[in-house]
Amino acid sequence: MSVSDGREPHEGAPRLPDELRALGRSLDARGGGGSGAAAGSESMVERVLAQILAEQIPVPVQEAGPTGVRARLHAVRRWMRRRRRALVAALCGLLTVLVLTPPVRAAVFDWFGFGGVEVRYDPSAVPSAGASVPGCGRSVTLAQAGRRAGFEPLVPDALGVPDAVTVTGEPRGRFLVSLCWREGGHTVRVDEYPARLDIGFVKTVREPPEWLSLGGTVSPDGIQDPALWFARPHLLSFWLVGADGDRYTREERTAGPTLLWTHAGGGVPGGDLTFRLEGVGSKRRALEIAQSLEQRQ
Amino acid sequence: MRLRRCNKSVRTREGGRIVDEAAVIARVRAGEPEAYAELVRAHTGIALRAAAALGAGADAEDVVQQAFVKAYCALGRFRDDAAFKPWLLSIVANETRNTVRTAARQRTLAGREAAFAEAEPLIPESADPAVATLETERRAALLSALEQLSEEHRLVVTYRYLLEMDEPETAQALGWPRGTVKSRLNRALKKLGRLLPDFRPREGGDECE
Repeated sequence: MSVSDGREPHEGAPRLPDELRALGRSLDARGGGGSGAAAGSESMVERVLAQILAEQIPVPVQEAGPTGVRARLHAVRRWMRRRRRALVAALCGLLTVLVLTPPVRAAVFDWFGFGGVEVRYDPSAVPSAGASVPGCGRSVTLAQAGRRAGFEPLVPDALGVPDAVTVTGEPRGRFLVSLCWREGGHTVRVDEYPARLDIGFVKTVREPPEWLSLGGTVSPDGIQDPALWFARPHLLSFWLVGADGDRYTREERTAGPTLLWTHAGGGVPGGDLTFRLEGVGSKRRALEIAQSLEQRQ
Repeated sequence: MRLRRCNKSVRTREGGRIVDEAAVIARVRAGEPEAYAELVRAHTGIALRAAAALGAGADAEDVVQQAFVKAYCALGRFRDDAAFKPWLLSIVANETRNTVRTAARQRTLAGREAAFAEAEPLIPESADPAVATLETERRAALLSALEQLSEEHRLVVTYRYLLEMDEPETAQALGWPRGTVKSRLNRALKKLGRLLPDFRPREGGDECE
């Protein structure tokens, strides 16, 4: 007996498949169809992404850094004791993933989750030319900024008193403090924010950033006081308060050479601040500026 | 519109949106959770329908949300040569089963339908009342016939027709060989045909994708 793949006629009930399809579609009717369905899927998008962020569910492949690897090995060992038989098959899958995606793996292992910054590796992301560092806009005093942001803004000694200080609202009730200096006709800008800000800035880079050490020591366990130097212009995404006051949107601009580092302090209980320095073209000077903050403590 | 079926770039057309699944999944795995939004957007409609058809009732939205989050967690294990929709719908089915079992609120599909119909008229008000009555009766007959099928037969009919998946997708979602899907579908349709002796097709009811 030959049965076609699609909507085959059926003895006695030639339209039964079509009727069943219509029955299935009628289950959608509660959403109202059309714009109602679209709104439904948008609210589902928000619910799902909010839960993924709130529960800090790791990226589904390889997670962050060495501790992640160690934890994973632990888990694998425990799991192996329980399920030896499935091990070979599972390892084959894991190895396939590792072999097939070297650039992605490198990106995830090396750069993910540094401070509040997520770095994406995207060879196709071409920043536009002629980028300039945006100024801070209308200034408040450092003390006002501290009260609004809930942490005391730290100022690198090497840059002196900032010409402008602003506070920007970030998602999930956090604040970003920006300090600006005018230097020889261009702007030097430091953004600082509590490091636990989940995904604050997202940088899309075409080549890996350089790992630097503020403390000058590199041990087998890793770099002490690490900093990330982005020598080349890269695309930058960031959050903003929308016109209605509580919706946040993400925008992109091209950011010039940038140094990222974290530093304990700011009166955040048990917390680090993440710093982002922009507008200093020299890696050596950028490091000095970051270190001038380290030495104050 | 003819959809190409090919392993590496399965394009999903759902709710008027087209998503290149393989590319999106690669982006999510590369550490871009926001890219997952595209998969959620493309499949929310069918996932809600699946939850409703499988008995989630008023919990359908929560079930679907949990299913999307679980699918995200498990995306590292998703096989690149598989299609996302049947994989997701099998997770939805699992979630629905767990929810229904936990809440011990398994109602019959017909009962759930009655609740739906009460909550909101399914037939547009502009429709001819006679037609509306007829449609409501036919729906009820179809639903009660579905209820009388065995679990396997009901599942295969639900996936293949109510959720509008093709045979390979149905096979993937149920984890059955394709031959099994074919034969069970045939038997289920025959049984449904016998359970609906008075069945008469609508005029011009030939619906095309």
